[in-house]
Amino acid sequence: MNSRVDSRRWHSIQQWGAGFFKKLIGIFLLLICWQISVPLINLESYFYPAPYDVWLAFIDLLSKGILHSYLLDSTGRYLLGLFTGVSLALLLGVLIALNQTVAKAFLPLINFLFAIVEVAWIPLFVMWFGYGLTTIVVALTYVAFFPMLFNTMSGIQTTPPVYINAAKTLGAGPWALIAQVYLPSALPQILTGLRTSAGFTFRGLIFSEMIASKSGIGFLIFEGSTNQQTARTIVGMICMGLAWMFLDLFYIKPIEKATVVRWGMLKTAENAS
Amino acid sequence: MMLNHSSKWTGFLGLIPFAFVALIWWIIPQTMEYPKYMLPPIQEVVERYFEMVQDGSLLKHTLASLRKLAIGFGIGSVLAIMVGVSIASSRRVSEYLSPLLTFLQSIAGVAWIPLAIIWFGTGTNAVLFVIINTIFFSCINNVVTGVQQIPEVLRRAALSNGASPIQILFNLTLPGALVQLIVGFRTSLAFGWRALVAGEMIASAKGLGYMTLEAVQWYQTGTVMSGMITIGVLWLILDRWLFKQIEYATVVRWGILKK
Repeated sequence: MNSRVDSRRWHSIQQWGAGFFKKLIGIFLLLICWQISVPLINLESYFYPAPYDVWLAFIDLLSKGILHSYLLDSTGRYLLGLFTGVSLALLLGVLIALNQTVAKAFLPLINFLFAIVEVAWIPLFVMWFGYGLTTIVVALTYVAFFPMLFNTMSGIQTTPPVYINAAKTLGAGPWALIAQVYLPSALPQILTGLRTSAGFTFRGLIFSEMIASKSGIGFLIFEGSTNQQTARTIVGMICMGLAWMFLDLFYIKPIEKATVVRWGMLKTAENAS
Repeated sequence: MMLNHSSKWTGFLGLIPFAFVALIWWIIPQTMEYPKYMLPPIQEVVERYFEMVQDGSLLKHTLASLRKLAIGFGIGSVLAIMVGVSIASSRRVSEYLSPLLTFLQSIAGVAWIPLAIIWFGTGTNAVLFVIINTIFFSCINNVVTGVQQIPEVLRRAALSNGASPIQILFNLTLPGALVQLIVGFRTSLAFGWRALVAGEMIASAKGLGYMTLEAVQWYQTGTVMSGMITIGVLWLILDRWLFKQIEYATVVRWGILKK
């Protein structure tokens, strides 16, 4: 009995492994074509570096400890900005959405501010806060704020009135109403907001580091090109892509699986991206 | 009649927060001490805005930006449809390529600006490259899933009635995937717009992004704010008005999506 379970598990691991390698084929093909094309095209290596150059640059950055410290800096800024923006949005979103009139009054302003994308705010933030951590965190807060706000508001507003009335009839006060009716009912939307905010903030991070910072992955990508160390730029881009996939796989998808899908509120994790 | 009245009332209601912001903006410069460039009085910003409208510089930069966006969006979306449809036609190919696409999608956009500068030099071409890249990778997944969710039965029916591949493409594949395509284009335009402004800030000497960041060096906060407001208004027009028109002209009219 036990061995059968084991063999079945082993089989599924094998299958997973085969699927994994199949998935890597595209990436390997790209790397091979890239490496072969370098001597054929024969351009300056700063203009068109080979994968091998990129690997050397990666080892170099790693051995000098630059990559660690940049990754740490970026992660810190990202988490700080995301956390501030998301918590502010959650708080304000609940407050605004509880009253229909207030929500209607604020929606045009919110829409307008959201339309002024964070990229456009960065020059003004630079004037206000100078180049550095504050500008980046404020910009990331701004980016993280809006997707979360929209989703929280619509989650609160679509709470079925039956639940609200039932809780009120049973004598729930305003706090109990928020904590036990509104928030649980809005949770799927709030989590969607968290996912969207995480994605937007990630993109915002790279750009704000390019403009307003002297460290971090965005700075690495930008600095590499101004010093004609293009291989470093590519290392930065690959780190950025891997970081995002890591975030998506180990943080965003598990949140959804652990809560929403398990409670049967959403059927699949795929259609809400 | 009743409805009309209430919507007018909401329109008025929505102005209150704007008026409030303007009021605060009007009061702060009069009551607080700080370097003037940080937050110039609202009337100065308005003045600066009309000055830029009159000397034509705002229009020039806006047109430069919109032109890049239109070209980039056109090329990027057509490329995405072509590549996406061919990838989606074979399940195996799409299985092999999807991790690569996901990876490239996650770095699409501003991260390509430095490489674009190396390859094309600072200027319109670098920005165009970044926009095309962004648009292409942010909507290709939608194209692939949109095509793949078309029922196989429909394709077989078309084939057995003697449809040519081109007929299938225009009468089945594209209309069948249209809802997904429009969703994808809308998202990709949002990312493309960010990439445009960002790209112009770093790699161009024309356009709204360039105008906004350039003014920082001269402490012309009025220009910065005028640029920001223009960027916001333009985006609202593009996203709300343009895409609504497209949606009504296609999917809503054909009854695929109800509005």
